[in-house]
Amino acid sequence: MSLFWIVIRQLAEIEAMATSKKVITKEEWEKKLNDVKIMKEDMNKLVMNFLVTEGYVDAAEKFRMESGTEPDIDLATITDRMAVKKAVQCGNVEDAIEKVNDLNPEILDTNPQLFFHLQQQRLIELIRNGKVEEALEFAQEELAPRGEENQSFLEELERTVSLLAFEDVSNCPVGELLDISQRLKTASEVNAAILTSQSHEKDPKLPSLLKMLIWAQNQLDEKAAYPHINDLSTATLEDPAI
Amino acid sequence: MTNHSSANSDSNGTNIHNQDLGWYFLELARLGASRATHLEDTEEQLPSELNTINSSGGFQLVSTDKLSVKYTSVNRHGHDVGVVQANNPAPVKRLVYYFEIFVKDAGAKGQIAIGFTIGTFKMRRQPGWEANSCGYHGDDGMLYCGQGKGETFGPTYTANDIVGAGINYASQEFFFTKNGAVVGAVYKDVKGPLFPTIAVHSPNEEVQVNFGQKPFAFDVKDFEKQERMKQQATIEKISLPPNVSYGIVRSYLLFYGYEDTLNSFDVASKTTVPPVYMAQENGFNEQDIVYALNQRKTLRKLIKSGEIDSALGKLHDWYPQIVQDDKSATCFLLHCQKFIELVRVGALEEAVKYGRIELAKFFGLTGFEDLVQDCVALLAYEQPQESSVGYLLEESQREVVADTVNAMILSTNPNLKDSHACLQSCLERLLRQLTACCLERRSLNGDQGEAFHLHRELDISKN
Repeated sequence: MSLFWIVIRQLAEIEAMATSKKVITKEEWEKKLNDVKIMKEDMNKLVMNFLVTEGYVDAAEKFRMESGTEPDIDLATITDRMAVKKAVQCGNVEDAIEKVNDLNPEILDTNPQLFFHLQQQRLIELIRNGKVEEALEFAQEELAPRGEENQSFLEELERTVSLLAFEDVSNCPVGELLDISQRLKTASEVNAAILTSQSHEKDPKLPSLLKMLIWAQNQLDEKAAYPHINDLSTATLEDPAI
Repeated sequence: MTNHSSANSDSNGTNIHNQDLGWYFLELARLGASRATHLEDTEEQLPSELNTINSSGGFQLVSTDKLSVKYTSVNRHGHDVGVVQANNPAPVKRLVYYFEIFVKDAGAKGQIAIGFTIGTFKMRRQPGWEANSCGYHGDDGMLYCGQGKGETFGPTYTANDIVGAGINYASQEFFFTKNGAVVGAVYKDVKGPLFPTIAVHSPNEEVQVNFGQKPFAFDVKDFEKQERMKQQATIEKISLPPNVSYGIVRSYLLFYGYEDTLNSFDVASKTTVPPVYMAQENGFNEQDIVYALNQRKTLRKLIKSGEIDSALGKLHDWYPQIVQDDKSATCFLLHCQKFIELVRVGALEEAVKYGRIELAKFFGLTGFEDLVQDCVALLAYEQPQESSVGYLLEESQREVVADTVNAMILSTNPNLKDSHACLQSCLERLLRQLTACCLERRSLNGDQGEAFHLHRELDISKN
């Protein structure tokens, strides 16, 4: 290390001391990291939870065999859930609704908002396919009565129907409804509702823990200078930024 | 770690390197023995009764069960308050501490107070009247926090009311309740151990205290849940780089050689809508962990199904350098596992024979001894899985051995830059960092608050 860097480091340490922050060197920190006990089974569970929640059913089945980790949900239900999700993603909303009802009719009965969004998606698909008459009929018969019950549904319905007013929908203000992201939004809403109905969390735990890591590092920053992990995908330990 | 260096001094350079890796897993193998205990925080002494020794002397009488107090004198001034503290300070290694009082008799003036005080508090003064204390007073409903004068806080309380006081370590606040509902909270401006404290100050005032032996009027569990959700909501707002979880899971599968899972995972992610896009330029170097994937998978499978001989055979063929030193930690773990498998199928005689040949030499060697003894102890029990060494028969023990072999193979990768890289997956390094950050923060914060335990985190269902 050149003298320059040594001086810089010392200055930084003095500065840190002045603000009464504790400085933890990389060596000290690595010792603390080594003292942490992480059980392999827990990591396996975390990975299984990710596979299951995200719907990687084959991978979850293989992982059960390779790691001996039991999934926290019946794997068969994943297949059904993914079929629903896929149907929405591909624009087969009627099919999706039927599949959800096969799975558990209570899901749609108890989620008027979800049911409305699915119907709205169905309307969007009809408009996309140029079935104007069918779309109008569907909007009047199925969607309008629901709009009467709920102001926000009505606004959504009006927004969707206005798609019909444009010759070139790719340039209209509500064009985003025809975007693939709208399908994905609806699909993930159904997905979450099914998971909730199976008393399973709707999101995998891993992303929450990663967020918690970022949060925990920020919190500790207030009290100490210590080696960070800034790149989550490599988990490289950086030198303390003082 | 104990002094491992004494165990194998005759190793050459490469062996020392391998030895270190093996030792790492030897530690893990022994972790199984302490599994049940190592998760718990060191238990803190909880407040359970009133302290009759450190008392204001003579102004009040504590009942024989040490759970109620009565003012028995006549109050003439502000220095004859009947104050009692709990026998222990409020525990700090948690999210919330809470206790309650029931006002049995408001006496002449209802000058009752509940709160927290430090150990050296003047025991003739109301909590809150002196520095380093805080109290909610019944006669005026005011909150006193170390200054002589109080501030308007909540309703007054009197006979038949249940009043509670708590510390919220997450928000660093004292909070008070009346008849099961929160009255209010105030910033906790006091450091050091804080004792639950109650005070009575007029003839015949009588108060019963509940340190949790009986159900509380206030739903503390729900309060904690709300606090956790508040914190969770802050955390959930943080954004992550796209697909980062996906990448971490994938590298985990690669790292441990879960090849079949990986293949299914890759096939599925190609067909998802939208397809999962992984940035390759983020320094995620696959080459290193794809290394020997198929062999690692095969060996894991053999070990997981208890076929230790086949695993040893394959290792001899593929990676003779790993098994060449028969006294290495890796060989030791494999031999132990073979012994364990024999016990599992009830081949006890064969186990004894195998032990004499392969395990006896490890007796008396520092680092190996505990595990050898535990293995041999399996023979002593008719139902070994229910004994204290039953952990050896669990699936997790096979997993440790499989992980050891996996790491040893990874360590033979000529492109390996850092020998530590084959010990821990990216996921494990992240989880260690998370735990260490939380623990460090708590320790810099006077040990206040909950620690992070992955195990507990996985058990908590959000429902």
